[in-house]
Amino acid sequence: MSTTVDAAPVSAMIPVATRTQKLGRLVLDYPLGAFGAVVLLIMVLAAIFAPLIAPYDPTVGDSTALFQPPSAQYLLGTDAFGRDILSRLIYGARISLMVGFGASTGGIVIGTTIGVLAGYLGGWFDTVSQRIMDALLAFPMLLLALAITSVLGPSLTNVIIALGLPIVPRAARIARASTMSLINTTFIEAARATGCSDTRIIFRHILPNTFAPLLVIATAYLGLAIVQEAALDYLGAGIQEPQSSWGLMMTGSATSLALTAPWIVIIPGLAICLAVLSSNFLGDAIRDALDPKLQRSLR
Amino acid sequence: MAQFLFARFWSGLMTLFCVAVIVFIIVRVIPGDAAMMLTGAGAGVVSEQELEAVRERLGINQPLPVQFVAWVGDFVRFDLGTSIRTGAPVADEIAARFPYTLQIAVMAMVIAVVLGVPAGVLAARFTGSWIDRLLQTLSVAGLAAPSFWVGLLIILSLVTFFRWSAPLFWEPFWVSPIQSITQLIWPAIAAGLRQLALIARMTRSIMLEVLGEDYIRTARAKGLSEARVIFRHGLTNGSLPIVTLIGFEFAALFGSLIITETVFNVPGLGQYVITAIMNRDYPAAQAVVLLLAGIVVIGNLLVDLIYGWLDPRMRLKGKPS
Amino acid sequence: MKVRELGLSGSLPRRSVLKAAAGALLGSAVLPSMAWAQAPVPGGTLRVSSGGDPPDFDLHQTTTYLTQHVGAPCYSTLMRVDPANPTQLLPDLAEKFEVSDDGLTVTFTLRQGVKFHDGTDLTVDDVIYSLNRVKAPPSGIVSPRRGLLGNIATIEPVGAAGLKITLSQPQPDFPLLVSNPFNVIYPKAVVEPLDAEGVGMKRKIVGTGAFKLGRSIDGQLYELERNEAYFGTPAHLDKIQFFPIRGEIERGVALQGERIDACFLFASEAVLTTLREAPGVTALRRPTPTFINLIPNVTQKPFDDVRVREALSLAIDRSAFIATVGPLAGAFYHSYGLLLPGSDYQLSTDEIREFAGYDTLPDAGGDIEANRARARELLKEAGVPEGFKVSLLARGDLPAFRDSSINVASQLNAIGFDASVDVRDAGAFATAENRGEFQLVVHSVAVSGSLPDQILGEGYTSFGGRNYGKWEDPSLDDLYRAQSREPDVEKRKALIRDFQLAFMKTFYHINLAWVGYGAAHSDRVKGWSALPDIYTNMQLDNVYLEG
Repeated sequence: MSTTVDAAPVSAMIPVATRTQKLGRLVLDYPLGAFGAVVLLIMVLAAIFAPLIAPYDPTVGDSTALFQPPSAQYLLGTDAFGRDILSRLIYGARISLMVGFGASTGGIVIGTTIGVLAGYLGGWFDTVSQRIMDALLAFPMLLLALAITSVLGPSLTNVIIALGLPIVPRAARIARASTMSLINTTFIEAARATGCSDTRIIFRHILPNTFAPLLVIATAYLGLAIVQEAALDYLGAGIQEPQSSWGLMMTGSATSLALTAPWIVIIPGLAICLAVLSSNFLGDAIRDALDPKLQRSLR
Repeated sequence: MAQFLFARFWSGLMTLFCVAVIVFIIVRVIPGDAAMMLTGAGAGVVSEQELEAVRERLGINQPLPVQFVAWVGDFVRFDLGTSIRTGAPVADEIAARFPYTLQIAVMAMVIAVVLGVPAGVLAARFTGSWIDRLLQTLSVAGLAAPSFWVGLLIILSLVTFFRWSAPLFWEPFWVSPIQSITQLIWPAIAAGLRQLALIARMTRSIMLEVLGEDYIRTARAKGLSEARVIFRHGLTNGSLPIVTLIGFEFAALFGSLIITETVFNVPGLGQYVITAIMNRDYPAAQAVVLLLAGIVVIGNLLVDLIYGWLDPRMRLKGKPS
Repeated sequence: MKVRELGLSGSLPRRSVLKAAAGALLGSAVLPSMAWAQAPVPGGTLRVSSGGDPPDFDLHQTTTYLTQHVGAPCYSTLMRVDPANPTQLLPDLAEKFEVSDDGLTVTFTLRQGVKFHDGTDLTVDDVIYSLNRVKAPPSGIVSPRRGLLGNIATIEPVGAAGLKITLSQPQPDFPLLVSNPFNVIYPKAVVEPLDAEGVGMKRKIVGTGAFKLGRSIDGQLYELERNEAYFGTPAHLDKIQFFPIRGEIERGVALQGERIDACFLFASEAVLTTLREAPGVTALRRPTPTFINLIPNVTQKPFDDVRVREALSLAIDRSAFIATVGPLAGAFYHSYGLLLPGSDYQLSTDEIREFAGYDTLPDAGGDIEANRARARELLKEAGVPEGFKVSLLARGDLPAFRDSSINVASQLNAIGFDASVDVRDAGAFATAENRGEFQLVVHSVAVSGSLPDQILGEGYTSFGGRNYGKWEDPSLDDLYRAQSREPDVEKRKALIRDFQLAFMKTFYHINLAWVGYGAAHSDRVKGWSALPDIYTNMQLDNVYLEG
């Protein structure tokens, strides 16, 4: 989201730059993207080192400190069970990011495989897979996820599967389109002519070229998967108590206390907003950096 | 044109068929015996003979393809079976609930368009100004906020500041239109926020592109008023992609309504399908899921057709590129 | 013929219960004055909100108030509990009853000219079919209260209006058990064919009560209309409307905003506190015969092993449980033993301390860390590995289930389990629980009436309907029957003590706390009094609206 419309690709302007300089330039050119990347990085680190950072056990409540307002002892207060909200937030980041990254990565890997094969092979595989992908696209994401968790049962793995599946057709569509646009280009034909195997062509020539658009949608679906995971938890079809997740923090008795202790509901929602916002910013920046043409029209 | 129509129609139909197959597979994989579920009894309470009788009544003792054909056949004739949970015909229940969902979707979309398009135009006109920045920030926030959280916050603030409470009885639109609209306005806002943000962003970028075109410069050079330039020339030329977006988003909105209805306790289709899925009420669940997916497929098909009709280039080509 | 007054020592000793309650509750459980002095005003609509849609309408098959509160005004029982004195019975479908000298037969005389809502006459056959349906349900029908009528040997008609029930053994509490507000009388002609389909009365209400079902709109409204053909004094109200609203805050706000007139079940103390301060609203918390039990499914390993069940009990710090779940669910109370807090049957502190884990009750002086260390040892002995996954089945609409489960899960994790809570809708929860598809369940067992046979018969016998864990133990059932037939108050007390001591060491049910449910209504609502349980006196035919 740079402000200069005509910004040429960064690398072209400074051909001999050190890595640090390049990074600095990227941050200057895409401040919001950098902000998103930093926030996500902090969240990832917090999630990984949750046991070290979290001041309390997120599942064990103190029955003498029920729904306390934020204080020095409990920075973000406590919930209805006397559990530290900050600790639950930190552990909740684990769930949200695991589901977010798991679902978007898994969905994109599978979707790309299907899309590239469909674009490359064509024929009946293309027809059949496209019909199935179109059908999957027709399902509202949350509804499909809800149906799947109700079949598989609520658990972390199943939530990742349930939220990854709706991403598959979306990734497949993009991968297929870029494969189709590449397949008749001269360099693929040249590769064929020199006797490259199909596998080699796919891995060496097609996949690297689908990478950029897929990276952009990966960040978009990272945010979407985080929101949908929270929605599943909110509906009671996702992560189970006493584990902590951002969606769970807004359900049950949290809501019946929300009038007297509104922070219980507000804080996890803000965390979701921040995570989604960051992934959107990062996605925008990646798109702008990778595709200057898009930058011009879709700022 | 005829070829294009036929191709789109055929692929839409095939997609619907695949949707039906997927719904059927998901529902039949749900663990547990539907006959057992229907009797609601403990293992060993019902004899195998009686279970067999229930299975026969439900037609679930037949091979799966036969069941599928029978189910699709019934669906086409609007015979959607009987809800396990309430015992009422699913078609009747859908008919009672669909108007609420449709009304929220329409209201949400109206809000999104009425506020989103001008906001986008405004931001594009004053690009780079504080108005643009403010609108951009708001739209980014609107895209990031989960709709159920927005709904919760709306309820909390209404209760805290206005002692508002959710309606006890949601009047159907045809009984008392004004009351119905005032009742559903809050869920519509919660649900429409995302669409509002999307439309504002999209309008802004389309308008930016359009306003940079040569004929706009020509119009300005001719001394036309700014309003006339923007609305007559700019918006008219930018309307096609905006209309397309509105079409797609309207279809997609039905999916996001399922959670808004739950938050606001609106007795619409969304709340119904969630209750059905949670209670393993498979006749109800599969009918509504198929219906919602069907709305998306048909909605997209209509958008494609309208796009093809509006866009002369498309009329000549056989397929959308 | 005399209508026998039951000499009961089980009536609720309010004062001692309140002692156990949190200080915030003091003064809140005062019964609203029953405004009999004023002439009831006829007409009007009573708007009630409950926490959700009734999963179905079949009172015999259900345990949830969602169903019972909508059904109670529409149905009648043989006798009904006197709102002024809940240990006494008033005529309903039966004008009177007589107990034989040997205590083995109870003869009811039915009222004449009673009509069902569909216009058919009530007959003895309807009563016999209904009672048998509760006692020994037809295939496909569930009866959670079958234990209450387990003592019935035969039911025979005596002429056109008499009903002779022969008991297997004398049972002083029997007339109250048979008149349990759930044991309503259905029309045989309607229910029998539906039973054959395995559905029962889940979809219909055809009763003899003062109201009949009018509109029912799933997710929106359940509307009862006055039954003009009611056999008793016609109801004052024209209509009763039940609005399902899940959120307790929303229900409280609706009551304050005069959009509803009453809500007969509140759990959250935070909401009740607001309502107590609201003008024009009467809010109270009633100590109810409702106990939160952790119930292991003994048909699933490793819960068939008593050492594992004992470890479960040792894991729970009951004082911490009450402090946490109390304000959320009304689980402020505790009892020493299986019967009502403060009742004559309560065990002594010394007795209760003998049972693993119960020494963490307030003032019992236990050490939770020592208990949990012992629990880990027991689990090790029983071969349960560290991190063993257990799932607690929970019902989502009531904090007494959901929040109790969340608290219990985290306490179980303290002895090395990996526990999680599986929250379901009321209907889906009941289905899974009745089928025994669970490992552990935290059930808030709400019983109608506080007599020993009502609580023990329904909750603590192997044939009782609340035996969700599917344990079998004939010796316990014999001990139950021994106290049940004992007419002498003192001897019975000793037998009940024996039963409790024997039951508690099996850990089939692990008692955590007792619940007092809250209710609130507009001051305009007259003629309703809160009784010590959430099901009694819900016929609402004497209720009227003032002003």
